[in-house]
Amino acid sequence: MIDSLFLILSLFALLGAIGMISLENTMHSALSFVVSIMSIAGLYALLNASFLFMVQIIVYAGAIIVLILFMIMFLNIRQEHAPKEPNKFPTMLVVAIVLIPVNYLIFEAFSKMPHIEDFSVKIDGFGDIKMLGVELFNRWLLPFEAISILLLVALIGSVVLARKKERE
Amino acid sequence: MNSFFLAWIVLVPFISSILLGSMYLYSISVKKIPNSVFTFLAVLSPLISFILGVLFFIGLENGASDYIYEPYTWLQVNGYIISMGFLGDRLSIFMVLFITFIGLMIHIYATGYMKGDEGYGKFFSYFNLFIASMLLLVLANSPIIMFIGWEGVGLCSYLLIGFYFTEPLNVVAGNKAFIVNRVGDLGFLIGLIFLFFYVGKLGFDYGALEEYVSIVPNHILTIIGIALFVGAMGKSAQIPLYVWLPDAMAGPTPVSALIHAATMVTAGVYMVARFHFLYDLIPNVGLFIAYIGAFSALFAAVIAMKQTDIKKILAYSTISQLGYMFIAVGLGFYSTGLFHVFTHAFFKALLFMGAGAVIIALHHEQNIFKMGGLRKKLPLVYTVMLIATLSISGIPPFSGFFSKDEILLKAYSHHEYLIYAIGLFTAALTAYYMFRLFFVTFYGKNYKEHHMQSISWSIKAPLVVLAFGAAFAGFMGLPDVFGGENLIDGWLNMWSGKALHVEYSVEYILMAISVIAGLLGILVSFLKFYRYDFNQKIQESGVVYNKFYIDEIYNFLFVRSLQKLSVFISVVVDDGIIDKTVMSLSNGFINLGRIIGRMQCANTRAYAFFMLVGLSSFSLYLILKLG
Amino acid sequence: MIEASFMSYIALALVLFSLGIIGLISRKNIFIIYMSLELMLNAINLMLVTLSKYFGSMDGQIIAMMVIAIAASEAVIFLSLIVAMYRLKKSVNIDDFDTLKQKGTL
Repeated sequence: MIDSLFLILSLFALLGAIGMISLENTMHSALSFVVSIMSIAGLYALLNASFLFMVQIIVYAGAIIVLILFMIMFLNIRQEHAPKEPNKFPTMLVVAIVLIPVNYLIFEAFSKMPHIEDFSVKIDGFGDIKMLGVELFNRWLLPFEAISILLLVALIGSVVLARKKERE
Repeated sequence: MNSFFLAWIVLVPFISSILLGSMYLYSISVKKIPNSVFTFLAVLSPLISFILGVLFFIGLENGASDYIYEPYTWLQVNGYIISMGFLGDRLSIFMVLFITFIGLMIHIYATGYMKGDEGYGKFFSYFNLFIASMLLLVLANSPIIMFIGWEGVGLCSYLLIGFYFTEPLNVVAGNKAFIVNRVGDLGFLIGLIFLFFYVGKLGFDYGALEEYVSIVPNHILTIIGIALFVGAMGKSAQIPLYVWLPDAMAGPTPVSALIHAATMVTAGVYMVARFHFLYDLIPNVGLFIAYIGAFSALFAAVIAMKQTDIKKILAYSTISQLGYMFIAVGLGFYSTGLFHVFTHAFFKALLFMGAGAVIIALHHEQNIFKMGGLRKKLPLVYTVMLIATLSISGIPPFSGFFSKDEILLKAYSHHEYLIYAIGLFTAALTAYYMFRLFFVTFYGKNYKEHHMQSISWSIKAPLVVLAFGAAFAGFMGLPDVFGGENLIDGWLNMWSGKALHVEYSVEYILMAISVIAGLLGILVSFLKFYRYDFNQKIQESGVVYNKFYIDEIYNFLFVRSLQKLSVFISVVVDDGIIDKTVMSLSNGFINLGRIIGRMQCANTRAYAFFMLVGLSSFSLYLILKLG
Repeated sequence: MIEASFMSYIALALVLFSLGIIGLISRKNIFIIYMSLELMLNAINLMLVTLSKYFGSMDGQIIAMMVIAIAASEAVIFLSLIVAMYRLKKSVNIDDFDTLKQKGTL
């Protein structure tokens, strides 16, 4: 059951990603990206990260992707405005070939880790909101606060960057 | 006498030189300083040095041991210590005495000679520096310090020979002196380096060298001896490095007097005497030196017979007399050689200063065949020149007789009969060409009347003083045949155990022979030139007149070939190979930079790709490395 | 039968990450480049969460959450930058933004 779920989700994640990078239309590729995001959320659920599963759906699918779509429409980029990319696929091939050693190395590194027969969690309530909250507000308090300041900075920064210059 | 003042013998003229130089600069650029100030300073410094020298002399005479003053360590490298040391022993104080005395006389003379010259202050600045360098040379406690003076003397001779540097020929002469000296200096330096290599660790002052020189292997010692003598050849103008000295006449006459009498040329003789402990161990090299000296003496005398320039005749006579000195020191009779240095300083300074007076009186005419009949007009100069000429010709009782005769005697007693014969023959030639100069200048008939310029007292006074020296200095080394005591020998105390093997009777005969040889030369000269007719045409050609074409041969052998080599190196090697390589390298770098610069294309995606390639190759390396 | 094992998650994350890089380098559209970046972040998150389960520790998930927070703030900045750049050049082609390029030859 879990295997088949994993297969389906990973298939969708890959298809969505491939669609995102290869589709000509910006809008289409954004929508394709949504598929990928959602599949990854599903994978989180498979990995016992129930809270992250929700966060992924809310933040990515709900906020970021919507923001992107909004921007695309706000700027009103039509297909004829989009840049012409005739050499898109040859470039992809070249980059893919160059990427082989990197992937191989990382994969080898991971496969050297101790093998676990039973890839499942024994702890009760692993990955749910309570456990995450306890961890977050005890051991990870300082990074958490730093993140909150970062979000504030980003908020102000976006206002500064996007605002129209008054005297020009 | 405190040995502290030893340094001041050198420092006084040195400081004075710097002072004069800066005053001269001030004088030409800001405000004129009267010449009397320069005169005062210039004459004062050799006077002070002379007085100091006399005080040290008295100290040594009263039985004091050698003065050594080492103010500070000059260099200390890896266990080698070279201290700035001054040594005041009998030899160096002896040199100091006559250098400063003759130098003082020449300074006084020069104040008259250079009067009204534009570079008056500059001239005396160089002059004092010259004296300072020479004093440093003789007072040095180690060969390294001596070498400073040695080079300083070379530099000053260059500056003074090219003093009238607006005339291109003078500049050429100055360069020639400097370059020829440089050849000698190289030899000297090679000798020093060898010496340093073998005994440098044990200390490098004369005392240590004398003690340890015996540990040097004999063949190396021979090389050192010859190399050092090459330096002496350069400084003391011996075959084959004598060519600069006649050309050095381009400088003002006091310069010639200073170079020939008190400084510079005697440095070579002094150096050999100073290294006597070394040359005592290698008598073969000594013999070589003696032969070089003998041939130089003969060769220069032959050339001098045909010269017409009064100063050039004197220059060749200097080479000839230096040859005698090298005969003496080469055979190991150092005190005899230095005795001749001493008497020669007097009569040669006198000859040059007399010649200078004649030149001044005749408005810078130097050709003796345009002079003539000056006896009546310049009686004082005539008298002193007569004394000096008699002295150099070896006629008793003038000083030259004693020293030259002693050299010949030593050569004879040492069974070097060839050297003796050459020396004797040269003595006759010397008498001949010196009296040729004398007769042509002061006698003759049908000469042109000259408009004379008056000669100031500052020129005349030193002439008189030196005339006394030239006449009577020989009595300081009176041979014991005459019941006298050889003061110079006694003072220098450098007999090196060589006893004289001749009877008094033989000595008398030898003396008579050399006097006869001198008189013979004078007689021939008298017959030929006493009534010299100035209307007849002088022959200005021939091998001898052209100095055996030595200059031309050197020019062809060394200068031309070197020039060709230089041109070859400059055109083919430098322009063709080195420049091309360097330029193509730099152009290559520029082009490479352009190519690499294209990578900085401001395209973000390209940058990302470069990063990826780097990451990928790094991964590839790790994969291959870790397997 | 394919096990939903540790290595298969890692392999999936690697492939997704590589696809992100491919998109980043080969596309010119700023939006797609941005989404490729997000894809790479997601791939890393997936890896973190996988490792969290592997080690039985919550640290991986927390870091993943922080990455999401950073990604969110990045999204805001990036999109406002896109707006500013679009105003400047009226273009979403990344190759048009080459102000740093030296004009002319050396």
